[in-house]
Amino acid sequence: MINRRRLLQSGAIAGASLLLPGLAGRAFSASEAITVGIPVPISGPFAANGKFASLGGILAAEEASREFGRQVKTLDLDTEGKPATAVRKVQDAFDNNGIKLYAGGILSSESLAMGKEALRRNGVFITTAGADEITGTDCNAATFRWSVPTYGAIEQTVRPLVDMLPDAKRWYTITPQYVFGDGLLNVAKDIFKEKGIEHVGNSYHSLTEKEFSGYLTNAIAARPDVLLILNFGSQSSDTLRQAVSFGLKNRMTILVAWASGLEQFEALGPDICEGVYFGAQYWHGVDTPGNQALVKSVRERFDLTPNYSLAGSYILTKLLVDAAVKAGSIDGDKVAAELRGKTYEGLTGEETIRAQDNQVIKDYYLLKGKAKKDMADKDDFAEIVSQGKSFLSPEDAGCKMG
Amino acid sequence: MTYLFQIFNGIGIGMLYFLLAVGLSVIFGLLQFVNFAHGAFYLLGAYFTYDLVERGYSFWVAMPLAAIMVMALAALTEIVLLRRIYKLPHTFHILVTVGLALIIQEMTIIVWGPLGGNVPPPEGLNGVIIVGDFIYPEYRLFVIAFTAVLAVGLWWVLEGTRIGAIVRAGSESSENTALLGYNTLRINSAVFGLGAGLAGLAGALAAPIRGVEPFMGLEALGIAFVVVVIGGMGSYTGALLAGILVGVTQSVMASLWPEGARLMIYLGMALVIVAMPRGLLGRA
Amino acid sequence: MKTINNPIFHFFLAALTVVCLPLFLRSGVLASEILIFGLAVAACNLLLGFTGLLSFGQGIFFGVGSYVAGILLTRYQIPVPLMLLLSVVLGALIAVAVGWLSIRRQGVYFVMLTLAFSQFFFFLAYSFSGLTGGDNGILDVPRPVIAGFDFTNLWSYYWFVAVIFLAVFALMLRTTQSTFGRTLSAIRENEARASAVGFPVRAFKIAAFAISGAVTALAGALHAMLIGVAPLSSIEYHTSEIILIMTIIGGSGNLFASLLGAGTYMLLADVLSTIWPRWLLLLGVALIVVALFMQRGLWGLIETLVSHITATSKRTPNAATERPLHRQADGGKA
Repeated sequence: MINRRRLLQSGAIAGASLLLPGLAGRAFSASEAITVGIPVPISGPFAANGKFASLGGILAAEEASREFGRQVKTLDLDTEGKPATAVRKVQDAFDNNGIKLYAGGILSSESLAMGKEALRRNGVFITTAGADEITGTDCNAATFRWSVPTYGAIEQTVRPLVDMLPDAKRWYTITPQYVFGDGLLNVAKDIFKEKGIEHVGNSYHSLTEKEFSGYLTNAIAARPDVLLILNFGSQSSDTLRQAVSFGLKNRMTILVAWASGLEQFEALGPDICEGVYFGAQYWHGVDTPGNQALVKSVRERFDLTPNYSLAGSYILTKLLVDAAVKAGSIDGDKVAAELRGKTYEGLTGEETIRAQDNQVIKDYYLLKGKAKKDMADKDDFAEIVSQGKSFLSPEDAGCKMG
Repeated sequence: MTYLFQIFNGIGIGMLYFLLAVGLSVIFGLLQFVNFAHGAFYLLGAYFTYDLVERGYSFWVAMPLAAIMVMALAALTEIVLLRRIYKLPHTFHILVTVGLALIIQEMTIIVWGPLGGNVPPPEGLNGVIIVGDFIYPEYRLFVIAFTAVLAVGLWWVLEGTRIGAIVRAGSESSENTALLGYNTLRINSAVFGLGAGLAGLAGALAAPIRGVEPFMGLEALGIAFVVVVIGGMGSYTGALLAGILVGVTQSVMASLWPEGARLMIYLGMALVIVAMPRGLLGRA
Repeated sequence: MKTINNPIFHFFLAALTVVCLPLFLRSGVLASEILIFGLAVAACNLLLGFTGLLSFGQGIFFGVGSYVAGILLTRYQIPVPLMLLLSVVLGALIAVAVGWLSIRRQGVYFVMLTLAFSQFFFFLAYSFSGLTGGDNGILDVPRPVIAGFDFTNLWSYYWFVAVIFLAVFALMLRTTQSTFGRTLSAIRENEARASAVGFPVRAFKIAAFAISGAVTALAGALHAMLIGVAPLSSIEYHTSEIILIMTIIGGSGNLFASLLGAGTYMLLADVLSTIWPRWLLLLGVALIVVALFMQRGLWGLIETLVSHITATSKRTPNAATERPLHRQADGGKA
């Protein structure tokens, strides 16, 4: 159903932009429709994220339509998880549909590339992707990021866990070999040094790895007290699943620092997740008015519990639309100016968009997996152990905005 | 000491790779057919197991049943589709089987969703064996033992029985089988079904280790190709040797130079083909 | 029938396509991408259709070209024409190496070797992230400004690509018509005979690889400038697969068929992916249909249609005698 409607919409938008070649670059009237592009992987290995992101965008658009009394729509753009396709779809949406607002980008590579494109075309791009460069060394005026960077993810998971487990002095890490993994690892190493923790070993692995038994064998031999898993997505699921089968859960504490949230719990099941610590950008159990409202409306509208992809896409779309309405324009510079420095009541409580690097300042969560018998409902996989905000200064993050 | 464990673990991984690849190898040997859908049959084996276990069946029922279902499905595909294209150039084998793999992958997403899931190891095999510093999951140990028995059984079938003789004769030339007075068409379907069924079995056995997700077939296909090429296409013992070699390389590299593990495997593959064109144990 | 197999006619069709794409497509990116992949597919066709080599390694050369553009333009400010030249040279060199090693085997073994190399180069690019940017790729690849002409706008970049496309397409057409090209066809038809007659078969195959690698790398470099990033995905196995699929869909008999294949695939993928998230299923069905019923690809379909039309309109007995010609054009035996 959604798909068919989407097609009709895109046809309608295309028609509109043909008739109104001068659409871009001028302030719009209150009756004009606002369209937000949702560039996410809908086919390919990250299809699950795209599917939920699409729903989140739709929900935000529907709410905005009601709130502002004007048509607000989303247009899904299938990036296939490839930067080349992502950029092509975004370029097309700029040219053919007159879309200047984009909320999406699951993978770091596609998000970095789309951010650059948004800047070139005077659009705005806001994302939940993992690459710190987005609001760090590759930051730009048109690109915003909602997700907490690697620094905060480690500070809000490793540090509280170190404090909770004063006897756990030996930590072992498993890290994906690329910028993101190294980002997490370096922050963790700093905390280890500060707290006098022995880093008994690290295993790097490639982004295509699926078999982690070799790394786990290394980890066991190092006799750690805590196993810190620093990869993400299906790789962290594979690592955790195999770690549990090697009986590591009984021998050490396990922390997955960058978990994907509910999707991951669903795929792994409570037996594996019980007693394991997870770091998360979002959790549907967060006790804030904004989140409770979202959980309620997602259950009513889609009969689902919002996961990170859905919630992230929802808040991104909402931020863009609110800013565009307030700015009275969909031009990138005007919308971005509206977003910059804004403080609002978000899903995780009070959130602020830092003006210097376009990074959203929000909480990161440390969760602990519940036993099956303790789950209140089928999605109640974890409890929130701690939460908080930790961010590098824009200078330390390396952002120099032109 | 760690290296000893890594080698043992590597043999464990390698046995699964062998099972995955041997079907591809046999199909190639008999039918001279490049099967890019082999990974998709592995995927189906894993998902059928997942589905049956979710429905409450015991793993011991689900595993063989999944393999048989994949076998039947593959034989059917052979009869309906693939036998029409054997005579065409390899280009079209690739086109059809890539298409088939895409269809199976997308159907998997439609039926079971894009998220993937977990298959718990069967009751009684979900613990670990502890020997000094070395820990190994019971289920993985079972997989090694099971595949070893299966390997011997398969070897006996291929080397010691009439069916094996027919398959071996056929892999040299299909006229041979016809000369022996056998129905080549029926044998082709059976061999294709058997080969794909073995991939399905590998998927079923891998499910409790790897879980299931819709794109697991792609990775499996890559590994199966590497193993077959290194071992020699059509060679049974070659697949066994190469499977273990790849598994051990992967596991030992995890200690030595993890990020280069895949690089080494593909470099090794290229070296083997250049130095020993038929693979380690391929027939000339 | 003579006309539609005439190389000048093929060039005319290619030029017509170049002129018509902007009229029918609103997307400058898609139009440029069709031409860029048209080049890569024609280069693959040179191996598959003309030499009979089924290469699963075209993504290597595409990726190499893309990285050359990324590295030279963002880190060394090398002028674009020089960069393109270097990408062509490097593409040819790597293709010679891959070709030299791969052609030692034939048939399926050859395919597997190219596949192995394609994986090998992917992991090489992934492992040496200092050079290639690893998973992030190389960002901020600029579009060219040459001698005061600004090609940074999408449609002006399209014309930049179009000129290069037509020039290279013409050169490739000439190559296939030359003695060299006819020798390649002779090798494809019967390698043993070509070898017995005294042709240095291996050298010819390597030369075909070199040309193919050069053109594919050029396409890769143009692509990086188009999308402004040199991504890791360009050197992935999937790029090889897609180029090969486009080649087969178009038809392996002549070079215009390659542009046809690239264009059809890209347009179809673009439309299907907006209709249905599971569009890859439809693609899978399409591939099987092509293999079963359109073995000479889209171009073969056009040939058949044209021959039917001419046969019915003229009702000359000629048409029947021309049928066997199709078989010769069939080619593409790996």
